[in-house]
Amino acid sequence: MVKRLIAAGKHLLGLHKPGRNLRVYTDDIFLVSYPKSGNTWTRFLIANLVYPEKNPDFSNINALLPDPEDMSKRDLDRAARPRILKSHQYFDPRFQRVIYVVRDPRDVVLSEYHFDIKRRAIADDFPLEQFVSRFVRGELNHPYGTWGENAGSWFYTRQGDPRFLLVRYEDLQSQGMEEMRRIADFLGIPATTDQLSFAIEQSSANRMRELEKKQGHLWSSTRETRQDKPFVRSAKSGGWKAELPEASVVEIESKWGDLMQEMSYELVASRLAHARS
Amino acid sequence: MIGQIKYAVKYALGLDKAGNRFTVYDDDTFLVSYPKSGNTWVRFLLANLIYPNESVGFANINRLLPSPDVLSKRFLKKVPRPRILKSHQPFDVRFRKVIYLVRDPRDVIVSEYHFNLKKRYIAADVTLEEFARRFLLGETSSYGSWWEHTASWIGARQGNPAFLLVRYEDLLADSIGETTKIAQFLSLPVDRERLQAAVDRSSANRMRELERKQADQWTGTKNTVKDIPFVRSAKSGGWKQSLPATIAAEIEAAWAPMLKHLEYDLVNSEKVQAPAWARSPLAPAVR
Repeated sequence: MVKRLIAAGKHLLGLHKPGRNLRVYTDDIFLVSYPKSGNTWTRFLIANLVYPEKNPDFSNINALLPDPEDMSKRDLDRAARPRILKSHQYFDPRFQRVIYVVRDPRDVVLSEYHFDIKRRAIADDFPLEQFVSRFVRGELNHPYGTWGENAGSWFYTRQGDPRFLLVRYEDLQSQGMEEMRRIADFLGIPATTDQLSFAIEQSSANRMRELEKKQGHLWSSTRETRQDKPFVRSAKSGGWKAELPEASVVEIESKWGDLMQEMSYELVASRLAHARS
Repeated sequence: MIGQIKYAVKYALGLDKAGNRFTVYDDDTFLVSYPKSGNTWVRFLLANLIYPNESVGFANINRLLPSPDVLSKRFLKKVPRPRILKSHQPFDVRFRKVIYLVRDPRDVIVSEYHFNLKKRYIAADVTLEEFARRFLLGETSSYGSWWEHTASWIGARQGNPAFLLVRYEDLLADSIGETTKIAQFLSLPVDRERLQAAVDRSSANRMRELERKQADQWTGTKNTVKDIPFVRSAKSGGWKQSLPATIAAEIEAAWAPMLKHLEYDLVNSEKVQAPAWARSPLAPAVR
């Protein structure tokens, strides 16, 4: 009861974090992804493109591209419009303009595994295969569904809609300029090549690692986590090929193979089985 | 500010409408559909099947198969578990076990148009043509467009053993067979007599009779235009007579992939372009 009174009081003052109950405006733009899919990187890229004069870093990224899960309703209502909001939510019909960043789930699970060690959700020696099974079943400590539910709910509802932009993390790495151009066009920003490459340089993995070292304690996602484990980890794609047990690859592909192919991720499970026989 | 204080007090007491903010339990089952897709009918079918000794009607359906959209959080907490809850929400990841009821959108639009008139959500002189444009954009319902609703659930859950897709049309054509599938999904006894009794007690005629007697005791019909019935034709394919061909063509053009995926016959999508203003997702059919 006391808890509920406190919650009610916070509601009254607008100090609660609205999360999925966010008030949405029609001119809002959402940067959506499943967790550990390059959302923070893309946030830096967009912040450096849209607000280069603010020197985006971990200390002000929440103010520049606000996160409804991590900010009070009051602050969100005060944010300058049109807002560019960060989100990990599965499909929400109220989100009208959406950039959805998708990443190969075989890499996502590795990233999540290391992140969960960093934030002490699992021990260092937690078996990776067991973690993958949890990941596939959606038994993670966050409310955003499974990779397939999150990506599938957005992809099948909005793909082809001019107000929906699908960006693959892998493309952002291999052809950054082209992808940034698409993002700038989508946002309606007439950016020069210089502005695009500036945003990319300012958001490089090395620069973000440096910023994390200095500012890890200033940002909600890294504060109070293990300092011996980095948030900005490999920042590469395809790491799963070396790190992920074969059984785990098979488990992921048999669960989400259709959607993965739809998003141009090559399946290898059948080839693995073939090579073995 | 007054509104905010009222809400805060209701919130503290658990009297605020649950909507999508209520506690979901792992053993909950949800009967989900886009509005005007036969949800109330299936609610009656299930209530009659599960509670053969109750006199199921509009007066008690909210208690038997509660709807979080119109009930308080406190009420929902007191519902005996495992609960079967009715919902019109688009994909919600917390709903683990789901019966998803889908209906041909060309019939849905006609039904929704009449319901909106009944509810006075639209003025009596709004034409079906005017309504259609807003329907395609998902502006006639707070649950999004028909396309988004079905694609969000099917895209996220198709193939999941805890997801049962039921077409309204199949339920009409083979009520016993489809109700059996639902009963099996819910691990209910599939006794032929009991199934038949549930189907009979949920017939359109019987529901029309109950509506006449109990309309004032149900949130769906209370304070609405009485000469427009809630239980209307209860048929499928009525759009072929009552929906202007241009609107049917626009719906088909805009939502062809999902219509095909759900095996609804297209009559003219090949000839007509999707209207430029409509959401026209180009994705291949959901597998």
